[in-house]
Amino acid sequence: MIGSQPNRLSTSAELTVATPEGVLFRLPLAGPAPRLYAMLLDTAIVLAAVNGLGYLVYWAFAKVPGFGVMTITIAEFAIGFAYGALLEGFWNGQTIGKRLFHLRVIDQSGFPLRIEQAWVRNLMRVIDALPFAYLIGGISVLSSPIMQRFGDRVAGTLVVRETPLAASADEIWSHQKYNSFTEYPSIAMRLRRAATPELASLIQDALRRRNELAPYARREIYRELAAYLQGEVAPFPDELIERLSDEQYLTNAAGMLFGDQR
Amino acid sequence: MILDLERFRAQGRPRWNKLESLLVLLESRPDRRVKPDEAELLQELYAQTATDLNRVTHGALAPELRQYLERLVARAYAELYYARPTRSELWQPRRWLRIFTAFPEAFRRQSRYFALAVLITVLGGAFGGLAVRYDPASVDVLLPADYLRNPSLRVHHEEKGQARHLDSGQMEAAFSAQLITHNIEVSLLAAGLGVTFGIGTALLLFENGLLLGAVAVRYTQQGFGLFVTAWLLPHGAFEIPSILIAGQAGFYLARLLLRRREDRNMRQTIREWLLLIAGLAMMLVWAGLVEAFFSQHHAPVLPYGFKIAVGAAELALVTFYLLLIGRKETGSEEGARVPAES
Repeated sequence: MIGSQPNRLSTSAELTVATPEGVLFRLPLAGPAPRLYAMLLDTAIVLAAVNGLGYLVYWAFAKVPGFGVMTITIAEFAIGFAYGALLEGFWNGQTIGKRLFHLRVIDQSGFPLRIEQAWVRNLMRVIDALPFAYLIGGISVLSSPIMQRFGDRVAGTLVVRETPLAASADEIWSHQKYNSFTEYPSIAMRLRRAATPELASLIQDALRRRNELAPYARREIYRELAAYLQGEVAPFPDELIERLSDEQYLTNAAGMLFGDQR
Repeated sequence: MILDLERFRAQGRPRWNKLESLLVLLESRPDRRVKPDEAELLQELYAQTATDLNRVTHGALAPELRQYLERLVARAYAELYYARPTRSELWQPRRWLRIFTAFPEAFRRQSRYFALAVLITVLGGAFGGLAVRYDPASVDVLLPADYLRNPSLRVHHEEKGQARHLDSGQMEAAFSAQLITHNIEVSLLAAGLGVTFGIGTALLLFENGLLLGAVAVRYTQQGFGLFVTAWLLPHGAFEIPSILIAGQAGFYLARLLLRRREDRNMRQTIREWLLLIAGLAMMLVWAGLVEAFFSQHHAPVLPYGFKIAVGAAELALVTFYLLLIGRKETGSEEGARVPAES
């Protein structure tokens, strides 16, 4: 019922969950880097809390410093484990660090995690933190197809990335005034038939990242993509091609693939 | 096939928005009882959105939209198939107090792993004891600290001095906290090392037994048997069973991971591990307090006979607790548990 596959298109793995109704959905898994940042932030918060508490205890137990030390030692130890366990348990899988870095711990079958699981995965930190700097945990994450550290393996949990929740906005190709490809319906049909999902998302990404790309890189990428489409997928007549820039060519193609001019 | 995305989006958006706001409502207040019409609406919107997702999955041309719908379906799925514990359920003190009976019950259910832990510790103890008995040179290797190698010196210090530390309740308090946290950490390590298929747990237990055996024989050889018993028993009565239970949890975990693929009712199984940890942590708190406040006082102040009697009483108490508490209920509990869980 639960499978996982590394997705070669994106840089991260994902978990595929099949519901009893036969619907498949994927959850993007969090890689080691954001988890490390979140953990560092959480560690800083815990240290600050323990230090603050330390001053308080020092003041409250001024007459009996030994008991002050006892209190603070035990509190420090307990907070170290309880911070993650309680926050994740009661705050639907998120600590403050995880929330800021858009991470969430969930059960590995796609459900919210339970409080026992939160405790187990946090207690298992004593193993994952060995021998220093979470080396074992890091190796475990990298060697696991669903990026679990040992604590996650034992508790049956995993950490997912929270993708921003918004239906996609309108794209440039959906409000083109005129798409010259529409003059050649049969070739446009061939383009739609022959374009694989990978190729289509490649075109989409290339256009969407227009402003992130350096001019030279953009020119090269657009030229290669357009040449590939023209050469291998759907050759439009030369008299049309001569009038179009590579970018316009790709925008037209995207309009054919995703837009409503069909 | 390629569907008309714009039209698809325009048609779908109202129901997606509706589902989203329903989810926000349900997720934000888990305590609230879900009304029948809400449940029906959730089910219906979930089915529709799942169908929508299936259509974009096959079209595979709108990664964003697909991701959005996946998130929506995932959340609705979790809401439909998973009953969140309500806050009032979590804050029932009765449920938390049940840990005092649940711990010995878990201990008895998994007693064979405890037996394995005992066996390995005893083997380690025998090895350490025999080594010290027949090969005095091994003492330097087996016993790392000077005070363990030279009992007479240590006993002298302990009985005369008291000067080093622990001259006040203050220091004892600080010392007890260190002991408690250190012991719990070592126990967690033993229990967590179950992920090494129990090998790490076994090594840890063996080493622990080895040290115990070596110290016991060394001190007895030199005529301090009474001293060392009085020194170790009062806290050892809780501490040694705790580390054995940690080993038990470790072996239990190893077994769990080995057969994980076939049958796993993770909810029950991991709860068992957690119960053992919680129980041993409670025992170690007591052991730490006794070790700091009681064990370190020696003969003139506290007669050895008295210390040993206290230790023996504790041992009897632990045995009674682990073997008998919750026993009467176990028969009726199986029946009683089912409706309680539902």
